[in-house]
Amino acid sequence: MALFDSEFLKKLEYLSIVSRRVFRGQLLAQRRTMQLGGGIEFADHRDYTPGDDFRYLDWNLYARHDELLLKRFQEEEDLHVYLLLDCSRSMAFGEMAKFDLARQVTAALAYIALADLDRIAVFAFADGILHNFPLTRGKARILTLLRFLENLEADGDATNMSEMVQAFVHRQQRRGLVLILSDLFDPAGFQNSLDMLRHHRHEPNVIQFYHPDEAEPNMLGEVELEDVETAEIRKLTITEKNLKQFRIVFDEFLKSIHTYCRRYGLGCTTTTTEKTFEELILGMMRQAGALA
Amino acid sequence: MGPWPVNVPDTGQGPMLRHSYVDSMNLTTPTALFWGALAIPIVIFYILKIRMRRIPVSTVMFWEQIFEEKQPRSIWEKLRHLLSLLLQLAFLCLLVTALSDPFFSWEERDKRRIVLVVDNSASMRATDVEPNRLRVAKDAAAEMITSLRVRDEMAIISAGTQPKVICGLTGHQRTLRNALESIPETDGPTRVADAVELADRLLADHPKGNVAVLSDGGFEGADELAQRDNVVWVSIGTAAKNVGITRFQVRRSLLDPIGYQLLVEARNHSDEPVECRLELELDDEIVDVIPLKLEANGTWSQVYDKTSAQGGHLVASLDYEDALSADNSASAILPERRRIPVVLVTEGNLFLEHVFVANSLVDLTVTNELPEKIPGNVVVVYHKKLPDKLPAGNLFVLQPETSTDLWEAGDVIESPIVAKQDKNSDLMAHVRLDNVLMPEARQLTAKSEITALVSSAEDHPLYFSIKRDSGSVLVFSVNLERGDLPLRTAFPIMMSNALAWFEGSGGELREAVSTGAVAEIDLPDNLLSAGGETASELILQAPDGGGQRVPVANGKTTIGPLDWAGVWRLKPALASDGESQPQQPQLEIACNLADPAESDVRVIEDVTPNQTSLTAGIGGRPIWFYLIVIAWIMTAIEWYLYQRRWIS
Repeated sequence: MALFDSEFLKKLEYLSIVSRRVFRGQLLAQRRTMQLGGGIEFADHRDYTPGDDFRYLDWNLYARHDELLLKRFQEEEDLHVYLLLDCSRSMAFGEMAKFDLARQVTAALAYIALADLDRIAVFAFADGILHNFPLTRGKARILTLLRFLENLEADGDATNMSEMVQAFVHRQQRRGLVLILSDLFDPAGFQNSLDMLRHHRHEPNVIQFYHPDEAEPNMLGEVELEDVETAEIRKLTITEKNLKQFRIVFDEFLKSIHTYCRRYGLGCTTTTTEKTFEELILGMMRQAGALA
Repeated sequence: MGPWPVNVPDTGQGPMLRHSYVDSMNLTTPTALFWGALAIPIVIFYILKIRMRRIPVSTVMFWEQIFEEKQPRSIWEKLRHLLSLLLQLAFLCLLVTALSDPFFSWEERDKRRIVLVVDNSASMRATDVEPNRLRVAKDAAAEMITSLRVRDEMAIISAGTQPKVICGLTGHQRTLRNALESIPETDGPTRVADAVELADRLLADHPKGNVAVLSDGGFEGADELAQRDNVVWVSIGTAAKNVGITRFQVRRSLLDPIGYQLLVEARNHSDEPVECRLELELDDEIVDVIPLKLEANGTWSQVYDKTSAQGGHLVASLDYEDALSADNSASAILPERRRIPVVLVTEGNLFLEHVFVANSLVDLTVTNELPEKIPGNVVVVYHKKLPDKLPAGNLFVLQPETSTDLWEAGDVIESPIVAKQDKNSDLMAHVRLDNVLMPEARQLTAKSEITALVSSAEDHPLYFSIKRDSGSVLVFSVNLERGDLPLRTAFPIMMSNALAWFEGSGGELREAVSTGAVAEIDLPDNLLSAGGETASELILQAPDGGGQRVPVANGKTTIGPLDWAGVWRLKPALASDGESQPQQPQLEIACNLADPAESDVRVIEDVTPNQTSLTAGIGGRPIWFYLIVIAWIMTAIEWYLYQRRWIS
């Protein structure tokens, strides 16, 4: 195994232990979902609207402030973790391919989830869902998952996240944590697809990968740019000014991901392929711990 | 090419009306326009665009976003390619035009011809201006070179020692500058008038010809020269004071065999009295130190008698700081006196013995017997007593009474009258016998060719020399015992001259020559026959060690004009393999500035030059130069635009 060797498995175990010991399982499974429902733990208030159940009205608050507010509670349920892995050709760009890192991160997150007795499923997508690893539970399934991941190739057509999410929500009735591992280079944008997931009461989390050369291209002059996904050719004359503009546009793209996720309270990580998967996972753990 | 209206610049010929008129432009090499055909491949390359590099990218969506924003400027983008082409074509056009060397017809019509006369005489070494006058003159000349306009011509003549064309007529400024810098300093006299004459010949009646003289004056006729219409006078220097040795000569004493006489003259070229010291040295040994008190513009002159048998380099130096150091020292050559072994064969003559005894250089041996063998360096003096066959060697025969193998003795000549004396002969230097009482002489008939030094009215030789392969012979047929010759001063001088003649020295006075002068030098036998055969040329070695060949004719050579003061040496022109030959003979000649005109470094203030300026206007450059500059600027812009991808 080149991608998932024994060293990789050791690192997975280490990450799993760290996840439990340091964050007390708050990374994935034992973390409370943001789903609101019929649990017993108070979450927050919202305004009363006609038709709401009077049993959930906060009468104490009404007595004090003369406001009708409805108490809401966190819903407690088994966590389903869906890992959506981008297999479009753009993920294979560059020497340190995003696809390899994305598969390693997928495996690591899946292992941590399985170790915490959560259910996981993996979907490989490009312009739609290409392959899927069905919902499963238990650490014993990790080797099967690794084999599944290793057999995947980044040879999908142009990224179409809307198509993929549409297919995903039609397949999965059960709400859960949806981790999207992709470069998000979808010409139609990533927002619609994430909106759709949210509307279907999933909890999307984004891990965006990009290659350093994608953020800092250095080609100048008369060039033909070939889109590896669509084989589309664009004849351009690139100037220093264009390169500056590109950097600005790319930064805005990354910012837009963070802005969107922050607005809707979604987990978000953007990373270059220069990072190792364990650095990335530990970083995500710290981020989650800080938020918890 | 159509006529262009232009303004005619000031030509430097005094006031000139500036006016505009229609002038035309011409091409020096119109065939260069064929290079314009290079526009064809440029256009072809423009049409056939170079295949672009293909670069795979993960997505083009960001690039689309960028280039969609720039859509409104698409017309400019199209024009940018065209602008690049136009820039390249304009660049080619400029280059081709530059190659064809265009010029305005007024440039040809108004071209000037200037001859720079740079004075590099000794006075230009004066340091009253920093660093010296010649350097200041060169700087001024360099400015004139810079101000040359296109198609102007300039030549450079140096005017020290002898006028020399340093650079012929040219408009190439770098060549002129290099030639200007190559003008050396000299100790020579000013020859500006001759140089201007030479410059006139170079100008050849050119309608816009000028002579620019950069000099400190110091020669007669400077004012008239400065007033000439076509002469631009640039005065260099100030009214600096200077004291200099203007004469320094040495000669052997006529009476004292080891004595010598020095003639020293010093001048004060300032309006203030000067006190200083004059030091005399012979081969670095101080001979005398003379305190001098020189009046304002005064001259001091003195003759000193000194003694030295060895001879050597005599140097006079003034201990005084002034503007010109070249005339603060002078040198002279004092010939060495060697001891002469003399064998006097006589039955007894007191005067004769004493005249040789009195000569401190003579080792005298008196004998009554005829010597059987004569060493090579001995002078044998026969008085009356003679062998029938004269032996080899240097012989001085006095008062012969018998015949020998060289002459037949005849009758006695009673009271011979001296009719002819060879005044040019070294043997007769400072000797006059025409007023000496000589009651009797012997008539001698020579059997071979003789050189008569003194002859009687009947044309009988009284004193003559015979040159033999086996040695020289001098014969004096006058009876010494009758007459007053032994009592006259001419007698010891005559004997001394005779001994010197046998020794081969060319005279008592080895005159120091002046810089810039031409001197004819009598060459000693040892120098002429140094290579085993008679030399046809010699090496003249300058004080700084540099050498030049000089021809030899009739035992003489002509040297000069000499540039540098100091001791010059004439050496045999032997085929040298580079190793020094310390034993080879040489003749030393002292050369001194000794020129009152050069020592007077005060610039003549009443020289009123005409006001013609040669530096009117800015220094011009040919049109092709400006075209190349514009082309270069355009190339830089195109390069900048291309590198920055502002074009394309």
